[in-house]
Amino acid sequence: MNDKQPNSSIDYTLVFILLLLGIVSVFTLYTLEPVLPAKYDNSNFAFQQIIWYIVGGIVIVVTMLIDYDRFHQITWFLYGVGILLLLLLFLGIPAQYVVEANGAVSWFSIPVLGTIQPAEFMKVFLIITIAHLIVRHHAKFVQREIKHDLWLFTKIMLVAIPPMGLIAVQPDLGGLLVLIAITGSMILVSGIRWRILFGLTLLSVLFVGALIATYYLFPGPIATFLEESIFKHVSSRFIGWLNPEQNADSGYQLILAMMAIGSGQLFGKGITDMEVYVPERHTDMIFTAISEQFGFIGASVVVTLFFLLIYRLIHIALLSNDQYGSYLVTGIIGMFAYQIFQNIGMSIQLLPITGLPLPFLSYGGSSTLTYMLAIGIVLNVHSRTRQYMFE
Amino acid sequence: MNKKKKKAQLPFRLNILFFVVFLLFSVLILQLGVVQILNGEDFQEEIDRTIQDTTKIPVPRGKIVDRNHNVIVDNKPLYSITYTPAKGVQADDRLDVATKLSEYISMYDESNKEDVLETITERDKKEYWYLNNQEEADSRLSEEEAAQMEPADQYNTILERITEEEISDFSEQDLEIILIKKELDKAYSLTPQTVKNENVTPKEYAQVAEHLDELPGINATTDWNRSYPFNNTLRNIVGTITSEEQGILAEKEDYYLTRGYSRNDRVGRSGLEEQYENLLRGRKEQIEHTTNKNGKVIDSEVVVEGERGKDLVLTIDMELQERVDEIVQKELETAIQKHPGQQRYLEDALAVVIDPQTGELLAVSGQHYDREEGEFTDAALKTLYDQHRPGSAIKGATVLAGYESGVISPGQTFYDAPIKIKDTEPKASHRNLGLVNDYDALKYSSNVYMFYIAMRIGGHYNHQSNDPLSFTGDPFQEMRNYFRQFGLGSRTGIDFPYEATGYVGEKTAGQLLDFAIGQYDTYTTMQLAQYVATIANDGYRVQPHFLKEVREPTSYDDKLGSVYKRNNTEVLNKVQMDQSYVERVQEGFRQVFQESGGTAASYFADKDYNPAGKTGTAENEVYEDGKLLAETENLTLVGYAPYDEPEVAFAVVVPNNGRVNGRHPINHLIGEGILDTYFELKEERDQQNQSDDNDDSKEEEE
Repeated sequence: MNDKQPNSSIDYTLVFILLLLGIVSVFTLYTLEPVLPAKYDNSNFAFQQIIWYIVGGIVIVVTMLIDYDRFHQITWFLYGVGILLLLLLFLGIPAQYVVEANGAVSWFSIPVLGTIQPAEFMKVFLIITIAHLIVRHHAKFVQREIKHDLWLFTKIMLVAIPPMGLIAVQPDLGGLLVLIAITGSMILVSGIRWRILFGLTLLSVLFVGALIATYYLFPGPIATFLEESIFKHVSSRFIGWLNPEQNADSGYQLILAMMAIGSGQLFGKGITDMEVYVPERHTDMIFTAISEQFGFIGASVVVTLFFLLIYRLIHIALLSNDQYGSYLVTGIIGMFAYQIFQNIGMSIQLLPITGLPLPFLSYGGSSTLTYMLAIGIVLNVHSRTRQYMFE
Repeated sequence: MNKKKKKAQLPFRLNILFFVVFLLFSVLILQLGVVQILNGEDFQEEIDRTIQDTTKIPVPRGKIVDRNHNVIVDNKPLYSITYTPAKGVQADDRLDVATKLSEYISMYDESNKEDVLETITERDKKEYWYLNNQEEADSRLSEEEAAQMEPADQYNTILERITEEEISDFSEQDLEIILIKKELDKAYSLTPQTVKNENVTPKEYAQVAEHLDELPGINATTDWNRSYPFNNTLRNIVGTITSEEQGILAEKEDYYLTRGYSRNDRVGRSGLEEQYENLLRGRKEQIEHTTNKNGKVIDSEVVVEGERGKDLVLTIDMELQERVDEIVQKELETAIQKHPGQQRYLEDALAVVIDPQTGELLAVSGQHYDREEGEFTDAALKTLYDQHRPGSAIKGATVLAGYESGVISPGQTFYDAPIKIKDTEPKASHRNLGLVNDYDALKYSSNVYMFYIAMRIGGHYNHQSNDPLSFTGDPFQEMRNYFRQFGLGSRTGIDFPYEATGYVGEKTAGQLLDFAIGQYDTYTTMQLAQYVATIANDGYRVQPHFLKEVREPTSYDDKLGSVYKRNNTEVLNKVQMDQSYVERVQEGFRQVFQESGGTAASYFADKDYNPAGKTGTAENEVYEDGKLLAETENLTLVGYAPYDEPEVAFAVVVPNNGRVNGRHPINHLIGEGILDTYFELKEERDQQNQSDDNDDSKEEEE
C-alpha cells in the first residue's frame, strides 16, 4: 500500500559534495594548527572534526531510517523541545550549565558531551514545524481563498516568532537572521498568493526604510537608545562594518579578515603560508584561511562547491513529488544558502560581522551535527521519492 | 485541477529561490574578485609595511653658574642600567632577561639587603613560580572552570592555588631575579626604564656593557643627579627637580606631554629649575627603530641628535651671596641673643642686593631662626613670598607723590608738631621737629610732613586741631597709583614662578595718613629693593632678574659654551615725574645717610662709597589665633651707592623686633655690612685683576 518506494535509495552526488567539503574542512583545520593561539595548543581540531563527521554520518543514517512522513507525528514534540531549551537558556536554568561567551548566552556546557548550542537544532526543528503547518493547511483548505492564505501566513509567523525572539535576546544576530531566511524561503514556496507576498515585502521594506530614516533624522536619541538597549550589540556591528578603520574595536576583526583574504590574491600564498592573525579562524573565520592559502581560485572553488550543494538540494526539492518533502528541503536550502552567504559575505565587507559558522567547513559539534541532520532529512526525502514512469 | 495548479507553482517558485541564491553567490564571487584581485596587492603591502617607532633618550639638564661662572648646580653622573622593551615583549621574555642580568648585577648590598628583600611581595613570588612552572600551574584550573572566567580571573585563580610551600624556599639567586623582573615589568614599550642607578659599581657596569647582545632591551648608560657645590646657599631660589618616579607634574600633565616629555621625565618643580625648564631640559636623542611585522627591531637610527640642556648664567655673585648670608645670619643671631626674652618674636631677616641700573640681582638672602630646633635655615624665598609694613622707608615715594600731585612744591615747609584729629589720638613724628622742609622731612623722617601731603592729596587743607578728616575724590587710589610706579604694590616682574605683591588695606580715611608713612599696605623685600633702585636709577623702574645669560652646552666640564641668549635690562616703566623731583628725593636720601642728624648717618657718614637711602620702623602686631600676642616693630632699610653713579642698591627687612631699649640696630648693621662687603669685594677683585695683568705683562716681557 505504500506508494512511496525507495528508488535509487541514496543521492550519491550530494554525498560526494559533502565528502569534498569534509576534506576541505579537515585539511584547512590541519593547516591552521600551527597558527592558532596558544590556548588551543592542546586541541587537535582536524582530528576532532573527523570524529564529528563520523558522528554526523551516524546521524544521517539514523535520520534516514525513519520515513520522513513520520516527522508529522513528532513535529510539536521537536518544536517544544527546541523552545524549552531556548527558554531555559533565557532563564539561565540550570545555572551551572549555562555559559556566557563573547557577550552572548547561547550555550549549555554539559559534562562529557561538551557545549551545546540549542539555536542550531532549533533551525531544523523550525523547518520541520513550518513544513508540517503548510501541508496540513493545504489539506484542510483545498479551495483556497485570500483569507486562507493570510491565515497560513499568520500561523507560520506564530511558530516562527517565539524562537526568533528567544535567539534575539541571547543576543545571537546570526542565528536570528538564519531563522528569518528559513521562514522567508518557506513562505515563498508555500503557495501564498503573489500579491500577498509582494504586499508583505513592500511592508517590510517600508518598515526597514522608516527605521533607517528615523536614525538619520534623529541620530542623537536613536543612538542613545541603541547604546542602552540590547540592540547595542547590533548597532556596533553595523558601525564597525560601515567604518572599520574608525571603529577599531568592532571593525578590528573585519580589517584582519579582509587583510588575510585580500593578500591571498589570485593564486594564494601556498599551503600553511599564513601571515595574518585572525581571531576565531578555526570556526567562523575559516574562510579567511582558505582564501589566504589558496587565493581567489581556491575561494572560488569552495564557493562553487557550495553552489553545487544548493543546486543539488534544489534538484531534490524539484524531484520530490511530495509537497512535504519539498517544503522540508526548501527550508534547508534557505538555511544553508543564507549561512554561506552571510559567513563569506561578512569577511569581505558585504555584510556586518555576526557569529555564524560556515556550514560543513567551520569546526564545531552542534553546528556540524545540525547540518548532518539536515542532510539526513534531504537524503531521506530523496530516497523516498517515487519516480513516475510517465511523467 | 487544484492539485495540478499547486504542483505547477511549486517548481516555479523553487526556481525563483534558486535564482536568488545564484545572484547572491555571484555577488560573493564578484566581491571576492574585488578584494583579492583588485585590492589584493594593497593588502599585501599593508602586511609588509614595517613599523617605525621612536625612542627618546633623556639628556642631562643644563648647569647653573653664577655671574663669575662659579658652578651653583652641576650634574653628577651615575652609572645606570636601563631597560627598553620592544613591542610585544611578554612576561617570559622579561624573565629570561632578568635571569641573565642577575648574573651581572646585584640589586642590594649587605647594608640594605633586608630592606630590599622585604619589597618582594607574595604575588611577586607566585608570578615567578608560575612562569617557571607554567604547565603544572595551568593544570590546576580545569577547562570547565576556565570557560566560566575572564582571562584575568583565570590567572588570579591559578596564582591563588600556588601553595605557601612552593614559594617558601627560593634561593638568593631566585630572589635577585624576582627583584630585577619587578623593575623590568614597570617599563613601557620603547621607553627606557631605569633598572638600577644607585650604587652601580664600575664592575657591574662593565659586565653588563660587555653582554648587551644577550640582554635584549638592556642598556648600560649614565644617568645624572643634581649636585650643589655651594651646598645650601641659594638652594631654595634654585629650586628642585622631580625624581624619575614622580615624573612630570600631574597638574600640568598635558602641558608636558604636548611638548614631547615622557611620563617619567624629571622636570623642574620649583624655583629657577621650574622657571627655566625649557632651557635646562635640553633636546632628547631620538632613535627610530624599524620593526618588522613580528615586532622584531631590524634597524635603529639616530634621527635627532641629543643635546644636553643649556647652561644658565645667573646675575647672582655667589661670593657676595655667601658673605651677605653670613652677615644676615650673624646680625640676626646677635639681635636675638642680646635680648632673648624681648626678641622672642624675631625670627627672620631678609635682604636683597640689586644692580639698580640693570635689575641684576646680586644676592638674595633670607635667614630664618627656628626656635624649636635652635638653628638657622636659609629662607631666601621669603624676600619674594613674605610681605611686611615697611615704615618710613617708603617716604621717598610719598614726597614724590606730593610733588607730582602739586600739593607741595620743592622746598615746601610744614611745622612738625602733633596733629589732632577728631576722635583719635594725636598723630606725631618720633619727636617734634619744628619747621621742616622736604629734605629735612626725609633726613629726620618726619611723619607730620607726610600726613600733610596725604591730607592735601585728599583735598583737606588748613587743618585745625580737632577737625575731622574730610576727603574729596579717591586719595588712596591716587597715592597708590604713584606708589605702583616704583613697584610698591605691583608686580616686580621678577623671573621666578611666584611673587607676592603685598597686602592692600581697606580705604578708610584715617588710614590714609598711616599709608603715607608705610604703616598700612605691606610690601615684599623685593618690592622695596625695586622701589629704591627706581629712585637711584633716576625714575627708571627695571625688572629684577636672576638670569644673566644662557650658554650653549659644551662637552667640556670646566668651560661654558657660546652665548645663546643674553637677558638684557628691561625697563618696566619710567616714573611719570619731573626729573628734578626725583633728584630732590635722591638728595634727601643722601642727607639721611651722610649729613649729621640723618637717621642713618651714624652708620654711613664716614663711608667713602657715598651712600644714600632711607630708614624705616613700622609698628607691627603679632597675632595668634586672632589674639594679640605682642606689639613689635619691623625694622627696614633701603639704600644705594655711590650716590652720583649708583651701582648697587639694597633693601633690608627685619620683621617683629621687640620694643626694647638698646636694641640691636639690625637693619643698619645688615645694610652697612652689605655695602661694605660689596665694595671690599670689588676692591679685592680690582687688585687681583691688576696683579694678574701685571703678571701677564711681566710674562710677556720675559
